[in-house]
Amino acid sequence: MAKKSAGFFLVLLILIIILIPTTIAANPAQMESSRYKIQMPSINSEAGKMTSDSNINLSTTLGELVAGEFARNGYIVKAGFQYIHSIIPFTFTVSNANINFGELQPYQPATASANLIVSFGGEYKYSVSAIAQTRFQTLNGLKFIPDTQCDPGKSCSKTTANLWIAATTEGFGYNMLGEDIPNDFLNFQYYRPFPIQNLGDEPQIIMENNDVTLKSARPYTHQSTIVFKTNIGPLQAAGTYQTIINFIATAGY
Amino acid sequence: MKLLIKKLLTLLAFSYFITTGVNAQVTSLSISPPLIETIIKPGKSILIAYTISNHGDPVILKPYISSLEIKENGKIVFKEAESPVRFSLDNSDLALEQPFFLKTAGRQQLLLRIRIPEGAPEGDYYHSLVVESQPPPLIEGVSSTRNKVSLSSNILITTTQTGNLNFNGKIIRFESLPRFKLNLFGKRINIFDSNDKIPLLLILKNTGKNFFQPQGEINLQGNFGERAKYDLVPVNILANSQRLIPATPSAEINSPQTNSLTLIGFFVGRYQLSTTIKLGNAKLLYAHTDFIALPFRFFIAFLFISIITLLIIRQQRN
Repeated sequence: MAKKSAGFFLVLLILIIILIPTTIAANPAQMESSRYKIQMPSINSEAGKMTSDSNINLSTTLGELVAGEFARNGYIVKAGFQYIHSIIPFTFTVSNANINFGELQPYQPATASANLIVSFGGEYKYSVSAIAQTRFQTLNGLKFIPDTQCDPGKSCSKTTANLWIAATTEGFGYNMLGEDIPNDFLNFQYYRPFPIQNLGDEPQIIMENNDVTLKSARPYTHQSTIVFKTNIGPLQAAGTYQTIINFIATAGY
Repeated sequence: MKLLIKKLLTLLAFSYFITTGVNAQVTSLSISPPLIETIIKPGKSILIAYTISNHGDPVILKPYISSLEIKENGKIVFKEAESPVRFSLDNSDLALEQPFFLKTAGRQQLLLRIRIPEGAPEGDYYHSLVVESQPPPLIEGVSSTRNKVSLSSNILITTTQTGNLNFNGKIIRFESLPRFKLNLFGKRINIFDSNDKIPLLLILKNTGKNFFQPQGEINLQGNFGERAKYDLVPVNILANSQRLIPATPSAEINSPQTNSLTLIGFFVGRYQLSTTIKLGNAKLLYAHTDFIALPFRFFIAFLFISIITLLIIRQQRN
């Protein structure tokens, strides 16, 4: 009986292996999201408009420059991204323009956050960078809270986040959570110091996307949260510390 | 008791009205169009109408023009505008570098005139129209950071007298990113399991003087004669820069940002990939690669089950 069962099982397994088809994606051009699926045999290099049953219009405006138009007018202008039918505004939101740390106390880290929301239709490669105009300093610039170096043995830099947990680690920095953030922000405990404009630093990218976004609801949005953190030691000079953070949001090209 | 309840309710209502809530100041701006591409003769000018919308709290904005530089890694860097191109606003009441006020739900149209002076050298000039918000006022006595937003729309300008453009490029990388690699007689063989997703990388470098959009496709051919074609998305590749070229159907929400294309299916045998890219009117670029896919997991599972089955049979015989 066991012999018959074993034999049957073996035959079944062999049949499964033989009958599984060699599949290459049967649909050469397929774009889908949770809301719709567009299937085309190929995307042609000509301008055109395609419609579907569900009244979703997709137009492709690919192609070469119109030599005649250039000769006649002396210029050709194209607005928006040519592989997307409609011109969708690029929108950027910062939920809180004023980040208030209150009165700083030694070895009592203070945090505050803001949401960053990008809405960018379907074009490729948006990015949001951040840079501080100055150090986190008093109004007269004579005293400052240094950039965070993160915890001892876990040093961070303007390009690489690391752990900042210890209450005795002083400094000023930020953490990112959410969509399209750099992958060195592993969780809410990973921080970087800000690049500083008047020290010649370049802005650092804090949100970036290189792909077409096919979210289910228009407008297409991606969101992240930036958490600002500061901590001072007992020897930090008394004063009101401040800086301006510039968020630079760039649509793709 | 009733009197006590009345007093409590009065106190509650009173405290509600006198409590001053602190609302975060929201900065929310949009700009349209997000990108302008233009080919223009020296001596000509064009007018572009931008719409700036404020979806947040009232804000003071300053429009200005900056130059764009694209680094090797694709990062966009802003510099002070430095090119022969002349920018100005045709608005009667607005000018570049001059702030203006935009109320909540307000819209402002900026009529940007782009003028190429006579005798300007032919070539590409990349700029951005930037609108920068003013940060909120400082709160006395409180340590704080104030945030400001710089929202930009890119302007890609090609200047040419004749309309003849210089498109030139080369394929830097066209390969699959395999699970295993094997070097055999000096040739590298990429090996995947049959169930693996096959990530492909196509990076194109612009070695010409003008930006272009590559037109082309990636073709996949299997050893049983099956074929598939994937069209390249015609993204802009700026002069002296390189870019990863996406291909459909990877325009999906889960597609990794570092791949041009991800093939999904059950593959067995040797597959050949080729790409043909057209630049402008004539130039064609070509590259090819291949990979081998074998059902390793199935073999291992089959072997395991066979061994178990044989053991069971032997046990039954004994």
